[in-house]
Amino acid sequence: MDISSQVGGAAVLLWRILVRLFPPRFDKNEFRKCLYSMGYQSLSIMIATAFVVGVILVIQAFVFVDRYGMRSQLGWGAGFVTIRELGPVLLALMFSGRVGAFTTAELGTMTVTEQVDGLRCLAIDPISYLVVPRFLAMVISLTALTMIGNAVALVSASVMGDIMMEVDSHTFWSSLFSMLKVGDIVLSVTKSALFGAIIAVNSCFFGLGTSGGAPGVGVSVNKTVVSSAVAIFVVDFFSTFVLG
Amino acid sequence: MIDLLDIHVGYGGHKALDGLSLHVNDGVLLGIIGPGGCGKSTMCRVIAGLVQPDAGEVFVNRCNFRTCNRHELQSAQKDIGVQFQNDALFEHITVLENVEYPLKRLTDLRAGEIEAKAVETLAMVGLSGFEHRLPNRLSGGQRRRVALARACITRPGLLICDEPTAGLDPQTSRTILDMIAGIRYQTKCTVLVVSSDVVGLVSISNRIALVWSGKVIEEDSTTVFRQSERKEVQRFLDDARLPFAGWAWD
Repeated sequence: MDISSQVGGAAVLLWRILVRLFPPRFDKNEFRKCLYSMGYQSLSIMIATAFVVGVILVIQAFVFVDRYGMRSQLGWGAGFVTIRELGPVLLALMFSGRVGAFTTAELGTMTVTEQVDGLRCLAIDPISYLVVPRFLAMVISLTALTMIGNAVALVSASVMGDIMMEVDSHTFWSSLFSMLKVGDIVLSVTKSALFGAIIAVNSCFFGLGTSGGAPGVGVSVNKTVVSSAVAIFVVDFFSTFVLG
Repeated sequence: MIDLLDIHVGYGGHKALDGLSLHVNDGVLLGIIGPGGCGKSTMCRVIAGLVQPDAGEVFVNRCNFRTCNRHELQSAQKDIGVQFQNDALFEHITVLENVEYPLKRLTDLRAGEIEAKAVETLAMVGLSGFEHRLPNRLSGGQRRRVALARACITRPGLLICDEPTAGLDPQTSRTILDMIAGIRYQTKCTVLVVSSDVVGLVSISNRIALVWSGKVIEEDSTTVFRQSERKEVQRFLDDARLPFAGWAWD
């Protein structure tokens, strides 16, 4: 399958999802299950990732902040980079690896074992039953997890700044809140929602398009992870460019 | 009643069905035979509304699958039960929940009634006591029986069984085919069975269709089918090594 047919197929799937969202026609039970497994069960790994991101950020920034005597601006620097860029992108990549890959494997297995056809034979629309709940759950989960992750990353950056650079937490947080704009938060939320939608559409598209038995499932998972990562970076560029 | 008229289906340059036509009357148990890759499963998927043909007309119970909208297709599919080649059981739920699933989705019955019907249907296929097992704890033959129970629990007007005996030992294979014949006898539904167990299939079918290179080249009552002089029929029956002497056809 070449890139154009993949993009075209994913666009058609996105359209079918949107058609079923207005008005909402999807399985609420499946949505609740997905929200639990994708959101709640991803919380610990996302917090761990965010904590490390905050720590690394301060270690990397230390050299430059110290060189230019900008210790009082550490909070703003860490917050700016975390909220606008690193938080949404790194957490989306982590989410893609955990949830996107799992979703493709799950739907791919259902497809090659004819379970999806079984649903269609029961007059159950696979898009409404399988895809839309996963789409919504991924968008909501990743947005919420990114906000939590951003907060965790900033807390860990604040603690590390205090230990490494002797920047007390009051200085850290006051510089962050004095410079941070509502637009930065809006950008972060928008990006994470877009990334969630990308991961959802990709993982469902490749999952439902799986063929060739068990090896085919592996191929689909690989395609999902690679294409989601590429799409995340492309959309990150355009969203940063457009939304500032 | 099923009518397939000049059906063409292709997969990436390969023609799975090449001008296939078939007429099946209500209440018939049609055995479908043919060499591997000849289009038997694709034909079943077309009849179940799972594959849209590239050309030709598909009528199932007077609904034209080529021209009907999604809701009309879904409505028609509610009267079709399909037992898939790979069983297609939902692995994360129990045997009982698998069998209850169609009733939960397609009917307004209460939970108690659904469970009673599912237990009764599982008993019909000889799986009493297996209700709370997960499908991955069952043997191949038991999985087929669960799939059969799930396909027929709604008492569909049309039951399609795609290779229900594949990979099973002869005794289990015969048991499954006898169960299918029993279901048809009880429910009076139309049944299409694809199977490589030609002897077993012939013993339960009213009619036999031979699919060859994407076409139905012979379709007749079992007695007439046996006497066909078409060389493909004779070749296929010879390959199946049928015990013609003393063979009970009907």
